[in-house]
Amino acid sequence: MTFLDAHDITVRRGSKAIVDGVSLHCARGAFVAVIGANGAGKSTLLSVLTGLLKPDEGQVTLDSRPLAAIGARDLARRRAYLPQNPRAEWPISVERLVTLGLLPHLPAFGNLPALFTPRVVRALEAHDLLDRREQPATTLSGGELARAMLARALVGDPDILIADEPTAGLDPRHALDCAVRLRAYALSGKLVIAALHDLTLAARYATHVAALEQGRLAAFGPIETVLTPALIRRVFEVDACVGGEGRNTYVDFASDASRP
Amino acid sequence: MGLLSRAALTTAGAFAALILLFLLSLLTGRVWLPPAQLIHGLAAPKPNLAWLILSELRMPRAVLAGLVGAALGLSGAVLQGLLRNPLAEPGLLGVSGGAALGAVIALYFGLSAHFALALPLMGLIGALGACALTLSFGQGGTLTLILAGSAVSALSGALLALALNLAPSPYAAYEITTWLLGSLADRSWDHVMLAAPFILVGWVLLAMTSRALDALTLGEAQAESLGVNLNRVRLLALVGTALSVGAATSVAGSIGFIGLVAPHLVRPFVGYRPSKLLLPSAVLGAALLLFADIATRIIPTQSEMKLGVLTSLIGTPFFFWLVVRLRRTAP
Amino acid sequence: MIAAGRLLTIGAVLAAMATNVAASAQPRPAGAPAKPMRIMSMNICTDLLVLQLAPKSRIASVSYLAHDAANTVEPGLDKGVAANHGAAEDVLLESPDLILTGSFSPPATQRLARQVGARLVLVDQAENFEQIRAVTRQIGQAVGEPGRAEALIARMDAKLAQLKASAAPPIRVVAWDGGKTVPGKGTLTNAIIEAAGAVNIGATLPDATYGRYDLEELIRDRPAALLQGISSWGGPSLQDDSSANRVVRTLYRGRRITYPEMLYGCGLPQSADAAIVLRDALRRLPKQGWAY
Repeated sequence: MTFLDAHDITVRRGSKAIVDGVSLHCARGAFVAVIGANGAGKSTLLSVLTGLLKPDEGQVTLDSRPLAAIGARDLARRRAYLPQNPRAEWPISVERLVTLGLLPHLPAFGNLPALFTPRVVRALEAHDLLDRREQPATTLSGGELARAMLARALVGDPDILIADEPTAGLDPRHALDCAVRLRAYALSGKLVIAALHDLTLAARYATHVAALEQGRLAAFGPIETVLTPALIRRVFEVDACVGGEGRNTYVDFASDASRP
Repeated sequence: MGLLSRAALTTAGAFAALILLFLLSLLTGRVWLPPAQLIHGLAAPKPNLAWLILSELRMPRAVLAGLVGAALGLSGAVLQGLLRNPLAEPGLLGVSGGAALGAVIALYFGLSAHFALALPLMGLIGALGACALTLSFGQGGTLTLILAGSAVSALSGALLALALNLAPSPYAAYEITTWLLGSLADRSWDHVMLAAPFILVGWVLLAMTSRALDALTLGEAQAESLGVNLNRVRLLALVGTALSVGAATSVAGSIGFIGLVAPHLVRPFVGYRPSKLLLPSAVLGAALLLFADIATRIIPTQSEMKLGVLTSLIGTPFFFWLVVRLRRTAP
Repeated sequence: MIAAGRLLTIGAVLAAMATNVAASAQPRPAGAPAKPMRIMSMNICTDLLVLQLAPKSRIASVSYLAHDAANTVEPGLDKGVAANHGAAEDVLLESPDLILTGSFSPPATQRLARQVGARLVLVDQAENFEQIRAVTRQIGQAVGEPGRAEALIARMDAKLAQLKASAAPPIRVVAWDGGKTVPGKGTLTNAIIEAAGAVNIGATLPDATYGRYDLEELIRDRPAALLQGISSWGGPSLQDDSSANRVVRTLYRGRRITYPEMLYGCGLPQSADAAIVLRDALRRLPKQGWAY
């Protein structure tokens, strides 16, 4: 069983609460889309859920154990994190980049054990990167780099994947591709938590949604029931309609009638 | 797989160059001793002229050049990996300046006349002090660390200038200046014994950052999520630099550019992987410094050609070349 | 307080300048050159000679650097004599009628001398005993004590003759103190070494003044003794560190002769005494027994 719980998380910057008393219960098999306006606290919340940021109040537990009590390496094996706009600092090959995801699994000394190599190859294959395995990561296009980073995150088969805006800056095809992969991963028995700005993608592929409004949790639950025009109006201050269903759901924003 | 053997080949190549230059260094000196005489001196009953010069002067000098060069190269590789900045080198974080200041203080107050360990110890204290300052002011990201290091460098530079200004005699000022220019001339086994332990401990600490440096290729957030303790890595890198480069500066003066150049030359051959960069950078750094040291003895000049001067002269064109290359590859 | 002092100094300088302009306007009596009454020396080597040649009453000041050196030449030699810092204010305040300094003095000194109406005598560095005689005579003439100068020279020559008669065995030495150069053929150190009867290895180097020399050459040449100058500054220097080099420590234990750097820096009649001290030290050297 894998579940990640946030208990009353509060993060303050100065006197302002960026994240204010957020509590979540996420279990495996779920793809949780975290939505909210810019500055609503999505990235901060995800940092706390990852364990990289200590909340001023509250705590995060993984299988009822506080994150702080789990060793960094053990935690690294169980959950992977993709920040916004990930980039490679050196022009290492795509294969090397993906292999970095296995660092928490490496023994104290020595190189990658031979038995891990097939996992790297499988990850490259699964993300359509096999023909680019020797290419320097810095020369990849946006979509390819996103795939490579996702492959890096998933190569170690973590129980939890936390991604911050994984579809940002991607063209429709690659954004769709990414969302499809995330859903597939979640449905294979993992927990995926991703901040998404594209509500249509969220509506189509996520299983749950957590909506943040100025640091507070406006709503949390299965996406079919929770993602309503009323919620969108409240969180984004725009009118929208949610149409279609299943793989054809769409979220349509109404234009502002007062402006041309 | 192919890349792995390329890294190993690069290291092997650097080692071969190192051994060759080491032997060449043993042949170089103001007194020309033909190789036959040197070998004969090794076998003949000691002491004899060739053996004395070889064992007491040239050998410790070559060993020291290797130790210092390797310390500089390794530290440069680690710092470039840590800061993900191709311009990083030990001097950037204030450590070299601190070491120089510590050593100059020891010279200035005559501490080294009273007990031999004073100079390297003061150099180390200076380096560790600078390191502590940089770490404490540089909390909060890479950019802050670099800025803190610049500030600490500026501080030690100012204090060095003060020491020169207040030097008791013009000759003392001249001596401090020439010492700062860097030299391995007339170094003996005493110097090797003094510096080696600290350099070796520094190497161990620096080597321990290897895995973390690889993870940092993905940036700090992802590296942390992979289990890297960033504070621990920074501490290891800086203290390792302080110990090895601090001790090196104490016995050889300020020698720059080796820490900048060596990693750059090696990087393409190891697939740009920071962990694979460490050993070849150390070996190449040692080879480069040996080469420079040999050159100072061969180039015919009126007064002694200083080692630090030569490395600067070779290093600055490299700097320009780096800029040109970055201009071409940058978007 | 400080402002008042400053004003006073400026006032004094202005007054001095005014009186000088007035004084230099008066004609000097023709005939025998008058003995200078206010002698100012601004160079340590000229200081030491002026202190020995001219009576203290006629010396306005010598440079502040001379104090330690003067005591080495003769204790209390500069007692009661004012010290100057070679600055323009000193010249203007003391208004000397004779200024003695080294030949490498800045052009400003010439202008100053003209301004106060003083005679300026530039004295070359004396690098051997012939030049010492010339310089002593020159300063003796300038301060109006030629007799005293001849007396000093006579004493020096007597000592040199004594040295020639009973010189040390021709031991090979080098004045190496761990630095990168050693004094060569054209230096005073060389003259003193040769007067003592020893052989200066530095004289064989191509450079006439200071030649490059390092540890390897030292080991190859195997001089019997090392000469090391002790600076009267007493300040710390890298030389101490380098000359404590392991090799030198073992090979030259008990074979390092020190000398006061000051006395080897200025050519004086006392240089003959220095040569005698050196000769005696060389005689006391243990027999050379090199293992290699």
